[in-house]
Amino acid sequence: MKKLQKVITLVLAFVLVFALVACAGTTTETPVAESPEVEVEETEEADAPEEVATGETTELTLWHIQTHELRAAVIEDAVNRFMEANPQYTVEIVPIQNDVYKETITIAMAANALPDVFVSWSGGPMIEYINAGHLYDMTDFVAASDLPDRLLEAGMAQGTYNGSVYGIPGESVAISAVFYNREIFDDLGLSVPTTVGEMEDVAETLIENDIIPFALANGPRWTGSMYFMNLATRYAGLSPFQNAVSGTGSFEDGSFVFAGERIADWVERDFFAPGFNGADEDTGQSRQLLYADQAAMHIIGNWFISQVLSENPDFHEKLGVFSFPAYENSDANSDIVIGTVGDNFYHIASTSVSPQGSFELITFITDETAMAGRIDAGAIPPIQGVTVEDPILQAVLSIIEEASEVQLWYDQYLPPEVAQAHLNTLQEIFGLTMTPQEANAEVQAAMESYRDR
Amino acid sequence: MGALASKRRRSVNIAAVVFLAPAIFFLGTFIIYPIINSFQLSFHDWNGITAHRDFIGIRNWLELFSDRVFWFAFRNNLIVVFFSLLFQVPFALALATFLDAGGKKFTIFKIVWFLPLLMSTVAVGFLFRFGLDANFGIVTFFSRLFGGGAVDLLGDQSRVLLTVIGVICWRFIPFYMILYLAGYSNLPEETYEAAIIDGATRSQYFWRVALPLLWPTIRNGAVLSIVGSLSFFDLIFVMTGGGPGIASELMATYMYRNAFQIMRVGYGATVASAMFILITIIALIVFRLLNRKEKP
Amino acid sequence: MARQKKLLIWIPILALAIIWLVIAGSPFLFMVLATFKTQFELLTGGVFAWPESLYLTNYTSVIGGRFFSYLINSIIVVAVSLTSLLAVASFAAYPLSRFNFKLRNHTHALIVACMAIPIHITLIPIFIMMMNVGLYDSIWALVGPYIAFNLPISVFLLTAFMASIPKELEEAAEIDGSSKYKIFFTIMLPLSKGGIATIAIFNAINMWNEFVFAFVLTRSVTNRTLPLAIWEFQSQFTNHTPMIMTVLTLSTMPMLLAFIFFQKKLIKGMMVGAVKG
Repeated sequence: MKKLQKVITLVLAFVLVFALVACAGTTTETPVAESPEVEVEETEEADAPEEVATGETTELTLWHIQTHELRAAVIEDAVNRFMEANPQYTVEIVPIQNDVYKETITIAMAANALPDVFVSWSGGPMIEYINAGHLYDMTDFVAASDLPDRLLEAGMAQGTYNGSVYGIPGESVAISAVFYNREIFDDLGLSVPTTVGEMEDVAETLIENDIIPFALANGPRWTGSMYFMNLATRYAGLSPFQNAVSGTGSFEDGSFVFAGERIADWVERDFFAPGFNGADEDTGQSRQLLYADQAAMHIIGNWFISQVLSENPDFHEKLGVFSFPAYENSDANSDIVIGTVGDNFYHIASTSVSPQGSFELITFITDETAMAGRIDAGAIPPIQGVTVEDPILQAVLSIIEEASEVQLWYDQYLPPEVAQAHLNTLQEIFGLTMTPQEANAEVQAAMESYRDR
Repeated sequence: MGALASKRRRSVNIAAVVFLAPAIFFLGTFIIYPIINSFQLSFHDWNGITAHRDFIGIRNWLELFSDRVFWFAFRNNLIVVFFSLLFQVPFALALATFLDAGGKKFTIFKIVWFLPLLMSTVAVGFLFRFGLDANFGIVTFFSRLFGGGAVDLLGDQSRVLLTVIGVICWRFIPFYMILYLAGYSNLPEETYEAAIIDGATRSQYFWRVALPLLWPTIRNGAVLSIVGSLSFFDLIFVMTGGGPGIASELMATYMYRNAFQIMRVGYGATVASAMFILITIIALIVFRLLNRKEKP
Repeated sequence: MARQKKLLIWIPILALAIIWLVIAGSPFLFMVLATFKTQFELLTGGVFAWPESLYLTNYTSVIGGRFFSYLINSIIVVAVSLTSLLAVASFAAYPLSRFNFKLRNHTHALIVACMAIPIHITLIPIFIMMMNVGLYDSIWALVGPYIAFNLPISVFLLTAFMASIPKELEEAAEIDGSSKYKIFFTIMLPLSKGGIATIAIFNAINMWNEFVFAFVLTRSVTNRTLPLAIWEFQSQFTNHTPMIMTVLTLSTMPMLLAFIFFQKKLIKGMMVGAVKG
């Protein structure tokens, strides 16, 4: 009897402990430090249609990836203005770090627990979300708004699929270009190359003077893709790629062979720094070389400019930029740029408690004040008629304005598994452990197996 | 007599259940249920975001058997196991022995030696990436000092795995050091004193007396090292992402990539389930093997 | 003569020990040094150079921000999870190490097997579970997984520790008529201090630095724990490394202090007096 009592007591004790822990429930903690954002805590039921909180306010949730100070402040400010103009809504802002964002969204979708407004980079993944029915069709909202008049047409197009608008370009226009150290060029009497061949000659001269031509850090893999995409596009324009994706062409097309072979050639000619294939871009192992005048050129997106401004403002004086040069043996359009018109695209979840409110929120996030804030933070917002003061940024803007077409980065455009195949095999090309032919075959196989599924 | 024994057995069984119940609850809820879920998923094709999951039978498993990346990752895991055992276990034992012999006056060693385990993976990844940088890092620095050139460790596919293993060893040696230190603390003081009285030197004490007594701890450390090496994820993901190419890919990073980066959750679940099976089998075999050695 | 010989052996050993001291400690040192630099200084002056000045802005910015919110969340989660884990693990280790019941080896094997699960695959089911239970976006959602995922190793190690406690003590108590429960609390627990201290250290560190469940199971910024604090200083293309290092250094401090305090438990002679007792 005594033993039984003991047994029951122990078991009960544990049940109690866990129940206590579980029943502590959702915390409604007031922010400990003073923070400018306004938050109202409430868990969302996944199936609840219209949720009305205290005082008839509807709560919306916003997930974005601009975790860094300045850009986060732009969004917070926009949200505040939205709430002031629309007091029937409150918004909870959740900034999520870029690296883990994809995982977070996947899990949220798997559990059917998406926030009202969230972002993607458009392209392949966005299409997957659309096909899975997670994105709200905003076409009607957009038509009734002033967004098509203010935002760049190319950006709106990037957020459109099968004629319907699913995403609004919100953050910045980012394209790849060749940034270079003007001082080094001047010292060595180099002029800006206008063809790929000339750029290779420039590289040879740099090597003779103990300077590394390109400050590529290919650890993250997408940085090397800039070289590949530009080379392939200069060889034969955008049709080979678009045909390969749609199925009427192939990734084993000559332009991709050309790109791969050129890259392998450049690696063998020591155009890149030692250890480049494992170096990290985000923490700046590439920029370290540039700042130390050990490397002269950097093929990267124009966010590089704001990085320089915040890390090493003096270096900004030495910066120059030119568009990726034409390929001398091709007559493909050399003003095509690789990049994104919008960077982060804002979507409304199909399960949103208020699509109308969510759309309103998006219009505030993309309004003139917010876009001006983004200019101040060093980005080119996806709006028509934008003017910037920074001369380098202005040069980039000219390249964009003169572009006949903009191709979204392959690794965002392609379906995720094909994008991975491209990035992985490309890193092997850079590492000289795979021939371009083998790499292209793998990417083509991934594309086909994706289509078959 | 029989009735008393069986009553005794029953009370032991009840006590066993009571003591084990909370653990079984947590394991069942958070580990076993997801494992079963993972096996279920492995028979489906699912991109993680659609409401429906397509049942495809054993197609994922068939693909796994001939997936060169997975088996290459497995091979990489085995390499990690080999070098981890080779370096972590003996070295940690040496450190623990040193600390045990020195006692309180070596506390500063104990604390500093423990630091690698305290640091977050992000910090370790960052510092070692810059430390091993081919242009500005320490190895290149020494190489140039002796007239050599830049040394590429993380970007060279033939060296990256061993380099990361080096970092892993650096990070986890303190873990085993503490484990063995705890093992030492379990040895009664009298054993040491008795040995000294019997005229043994410190070295003899170590090899003849302490080591055999420590064997169970060493064995457990080995099992943990093997399991840890086979399921390793964090540092590799932060430092190389499995690259360049697949040179440092491990089963866990491959699983993560499939499940979350390329939207093939079903296949990712297959990788996870296969990992689970492989690791469990290997761990149990090793454990039984080492256990047998203990009982002559 | 013997004295000289002893010195001859100890000097190289000490030298090696000091070399390892440098290797083990310098990354930590550089992490701390980086907190006194600006981003500019870090990338142009080199990661391993001595700081130019005692630049304290990183610390003021970090501490003036949401740091304490993260810190308190982490403390709560780890305190609750750790104590629960130690309790559950010692409870489980006792029968596995001392009893003879039918399913003992199978249970032990099951626990070893549970060490083999790659935790990322449990994210989706656990996330759905937490949503259904209403714990999503709450630091309490972390407690269950933290206990569960550290249980296998803890039970594995504690079982080994308890198994090495001499049987005579237990037998004596049993003859005296003590129940298994009494034996557990009066004999096994006190004598397992070394083992419990060991797993306490490991688990505290794991939980403190745990990142994956922390970001999956919480949502609002006010519910985040310390490992997520660095998000404020990194985004898609920018990494304010010195601030990140500052957060990481500050995060390490509590654990370091706890270790300095608790490592005293790991000394020789824990068993003194036990046998005589």
